[in-house]
Formats: sequence, C-alpha cells, structure tokens
Amino acid sequence: MRNAYVDQFPAEAKVIKAAFWSSFLALAIGGSLGLLQALHRTDVLRIMEAPDYYTVLTAHGVLLAITFTIFFLVGIFTWGVTTSLDRGLVDLRFTWGWYAMMVVGTVLVGVSILGGVVDAIPMNADVLFTFYAPLQPHPAFYVGLVLFVVGTWLAGADWFRTWLAWRSDNPDERIPLPTFMALTTTLFWYLCTLGVALSILLLLLPWSLGIVDSVNPLLTRTLFWYFGHAVVYFWLMPAYMLWYVMLPKLSGGKLFSDPLARVVFVLFLLLSTPTGIHHQYLDPGIAEGYKFIAMTNTMFLLLPSLLTAFTVVASMEHGARQRGGTGYLGWLKALPWRDPVFTGMALAGLMFAAAGFSGMINAGMNINYLVHNTWWIVGHFHLTVGTAVALTFMAAAYWFIPQVTGKELWNRSLGLVQVLVWFVGMTFMSNAMHRSGLFGVPRRTAEPQYENFAFEPAAGSMGEINAQVALGATLLTVSLALFLLNMVMTSLGGSSDEIPDNTYAETLSGPEDAPVVLDNLKLWTAIATVLVIFAYTLPLASIIDAGGLFGPGIDGFQLAIEAGPAFVLESVREVIA
Amino acid sequence: MRISKGALLVVIAVLIPFIVEFRTALSWFGIEISVLESLVLGAVVVLAIVIWAVWPPNGDAEAEPTGSS
Repeated sequence: MRNAYVDQFPAEAKVIKAAFWSSFLALAIGGSLGLLQALHRTDVLRIMEAPDYYTVLTAHGVLLAITFTIFFLVGIFTWGVTTSLDRGLVDLRFTWGWYAMMVVGTVLVGVSILGGVVDAIPMNADVLFTFYAPLQPHPAFYVGLVLFVVGTWLAGADWFRTWLAWRSDNPDERIPLPTFMALTTTLFWYLCTLGVALSILLLLLPWSLGIVDSVNPLLTRTLFWYFGHAVVYFWLMPAYMLWYVMLPKLSGGKLFSDPLARVVFVLFLLLSTPTGIHHQYLDPGIAEGYKFIAMTNTMFLLLPSLLTAFTVVASMEHGARQRGGTGYLGWLKALPWRDPVFTGMALAGLMFAAAGFSGMINAGMNINYLVHNTWWIVGHFHLTVGTAVALTFMAAAYWFIPQVTGKELWNRSLGLVQVLVWFVGMTFMSNAMHRSGLFGVPRRTAEPQYENFAFEPAAGSMGEINAQVALGATLLTVSLALFLLNMVMTSLGGSSDEIPDNTYAETLSGPEDAPVVLDNLKLWTAIATVLVIFAYTLPLASIIDAGGLFGPGIDGFQLAIEAGPAFVLESVREVIA
Repeated sequence: MRISKGALLVVIAVLIPFIVEFRTALSWFGIEISVLESLVLGAVVVLAIVIWAVWPPNGDAEAEPTGSS
C-alpha cells in the first residue's frame, strides 16, 4: 500500500503544494528576467531601455531571493515538522491564513515593482533587493514586504504550536531532527527580521507616506543588513536540512551524526545575525572596530559549514559503501548519480564549497575592498542562493512533488539533464562574474561599457567574460524551462502507486548520543540575543548619535526617470547648483 | 562500462569548470592558449574520459558498471 506524504497528511499536502507552486511561479518570472539582464549587460541583446534594467533587476532579486526561496522553504519545513512529529498541523485555517498573507504581500510587492515598466500602474519600486534609502518605493512595496514577513512569522508560530502539542504528548522525547532544524531556523529568523521590521514600520514606511520628512540612510542600511545576512541562512538552512535528512537516505545509508547536526543548527542560531555589518565594510560612519567584530563573528560561521561538509560527505560515503562501493575514492562510483534528486543536491553542495571560498574573501575586511560592489559579489551569491539553495530546491522538488501530489515524476532522465545543465550554466556565469570582479567590473549597472576606458582582465578578454556570462545565463534559462516542464507534466499526470514512502534518513549516531542541553531552545535564543546586543548596540547608538534617528534631511529619490535630453539637462543643472 | 552513464555525465559536467579555469591557471605561468585551443583540449579530455568509461573493465565486455546507479 502506498505511503506517500499525501496519504499521511492530505490536508497539509495541499498547503505545501500551494507553497511550492507559488515558489515555482516566482522562479519562472524571476529567472526569465535574469536572462534579460545578462544579455543586456553583456550587450548581446538589448530590448529594454537602460532605466528599465533597474526595474527588472529589482524584480529578479526580490522574486528569487525572497519569494521563490521562502515559499519553497515554508513547504519544506511544514513537511519536516509534520513528518518527523508524525502529526498534522494544529489548525489548518491558521496555516492557510499565513500562506494567504504571504501571497497578498508578494502581490503588493510585485505590482509595485511592475509599475516601473507599466504606465497603467501608478506605482514604482525601482529600489533593488536592498531598498537602500534614499531610493524610495511606493508605500505598497513596504506594506507588501511587511505582510510577507509577518506571514513567515505566523508560519513559524504554526510549527511551534505543532511541536508544543506534540511535546505535551511526548514530554520525555528528544525533538526529532527535522523539527529541531525548523525551530532553530525560525528562532533566528524572528531575531533577524525584527531589525528590518523596525526599519520599515518606524522609519521607511512613514517616510514614504510623508509622515516623516527624512530618514537616516546609514541607520536603515544597517538595519537592513542586520536582517540581510541572516536571511542568507534562512534560505540555506532548509537546503542544509535536505542535505542532512535526504542525501544520506538517497545514498543508501544513514546520517553520520544527529548530535553534530544539532550543534550545527545551534551555531547558526547563535551566529547568523551578529554578522551583518560585514556587508558594510565600505560604509563610512561605522567605526573599524565594529566591522572587525562582525568579521570575527563571520569567520566563526565557517565552523558549522565545515562540520556540515564533513557530516554530509561522511554520510554519503557510508551510503556508498552500503551499496558496494570500495576504495579511498572508488566509493564515489557507487553513488546513485542517475537520480536527479541526489545528483542535484550533491552538485549544489559542491558549488556551495566554492561559494564558501569566495565568501571568505567577501568576509575579510581588507580583501573585501578589492571586490566590494563588483560583479564578484554577484558571482558569489549566484553560487549560494542561486545554486546551493536553488539547485537543492529544484532537485528536492523531484522528490517532493510526487510526495504531495501522489503522481509519479514525469521524466527522471530529463530531471538529471536539468540539474547538470544548471551546474554547467552556473559554472560559466558565476566563474566569469567572479573573475570580472577582480578587475573592477561594477555590479548594479545596466551598461558597464565606457568610452575611452577598457577593463583589463588578467587572462583572456572582456569579450570572453561577457560571452561566458551570456552563455551561462542562457543555459540556466534552458535548465529552468526543463524544470518547469517536468513539474507541469508531473502535475498533469495521473495518480500512481509507485511513489516511494515518505521517510527521511535514519542515523548512525542518534539523538540519544546528543547532550540534552542542545534541545534547550530558550538557552540558545537567550545567548543569540545577547550576542546580537553585543554586536549591534554600540554601532547603532553611534549611527543615531552621528546622523539622528531620522537623518539630516534626506529626501526620497524615485528612479522612475525618463532618459531624455530634458532629464539630462535637469540633472546637470542640479549637479552644478 | 566502468562507471554508470549517470556518473559519466556528472564527471563531464564537473570537468567543465576545470577546463574553463585551466586556461587562466596557465596564464599565471606565462602560457597563453586561445579559446579554440582550450576547447580542443577540453574535447580531448572528455573523449579520453568517455573512452575510459566505456572500455570494458579487465577486457570483459559484459561487465556491469560499478554500483547500482
């Protein structure tokens, strides 16, 4: 008899399916816009005006970095909590409520961004993913973001309620690993989103509504990065969870160590938030000492990532040896490389290792100056969120969509081709972006081709770099189309009895080997809060002291520009004045 | 085959970053190769790997690939 997730939790499966499809829609739109940008920047194909590039860039960033990732991860965590606790969510109306809130938030943000290119929509939000003041969007953009984030808070509350209900029935049991992972991630999400919520509700939204005249850009930037680095781990933790609980099983073995996995998630709870200032090494107005503290905290974050690399690879090796693999490296041949779920996740992990190395360079105070605001950074986060997270999620979808629909995957071989094409496409694109950053090619620029100036690569030419980016972006779009085709065709298929059971990896060293203190969520939250207070109190006080809570008369600036001669003349006049 | 078809595809995919960056690495030693030369080199390496992969281990043409994938 079939024992898929949809058979165990049919009502929850519907919510997860809705969240996944919301995520795929954002991926389809945001990903396609990425191709437009890449072709425009590299001057291969220009079908939009330069000012529209920034609208497209904003949509690409928000739809992929926020909407795609977070809709998918709320589905994953809902699966993890219900499966590992073996009980449904407490109140499905509440669950649909937070999902609806996230959808409404996304629509508000999406429509306000779309207003940048559609004249019929009297809105504008060309503020990029970071919405730095004094760039000012329509208030609907901020309201949408707030609704979306509050939706995720309620999702977290839903998982906590379900866990508390389970705990009252099982007072002496350890928290099952997937639930532990979802809860610790939710805790640091609460901690870090507090900063951006305060920034939007108390400063930016009143400013965009005209209630206050000005903001302090350094303060709102700092509050953004208070959230902005931790959000990276909010995307990554579900990917980590899948690497811990799915990859060992797919490899044919067991998770090497449950205690080590718990330590990793506790470390992320502690260290995700007090690191954000490493995004502001070049911001004037923050003393070097605070930046040094942020760098130190960031370097500590390498520890849980290295522990994860060890644990996951050890688990895969164990699985491979169970399948008959032998030798120092010969066991690699015994892994299930034909399975797109396994191969996609394994390649995403491999790319993440490369992202870790470029991340160390970003995190180093001195060497960061070389790559700050260059295309290197874009190359870096296309390896982290664009591959470690996105490729893991797409690979996972090949397992999850059959689980929540009861329908067999339409084409497994196409799935394998898809994950490989993504890997190859990202190799070309992110590699070229990293290299171009080293010789100063800027990011966030529509047309980085300048008169009387030529970039000088250490090897090759700028033309080759551009060709690699265009080729990579094209391959990524092809891969995205193959993924969506597989998802649509799977969903159109009939119900199947061939769906694997809804299970996750067993452990070689289980929770009984983990110190009980690891499950003390109150303790870790308290320590995380103290670390945040240490890292942020003095810098924030110093920023407010220097520039005031509402800044020194900063007017909003909307990027809805018309690139005609009159605008140029007006700009020149303003500069001269 | 010495390895499964899936594993062979993965090996070729993982090889691509090395082929792309091999040219950059050589330039550090003052050896400049063109894009075309780099492509030809890559094709030769891929061909060698494919031949190695499909060559029957120990001359046994009926041998099963290692592992169950």
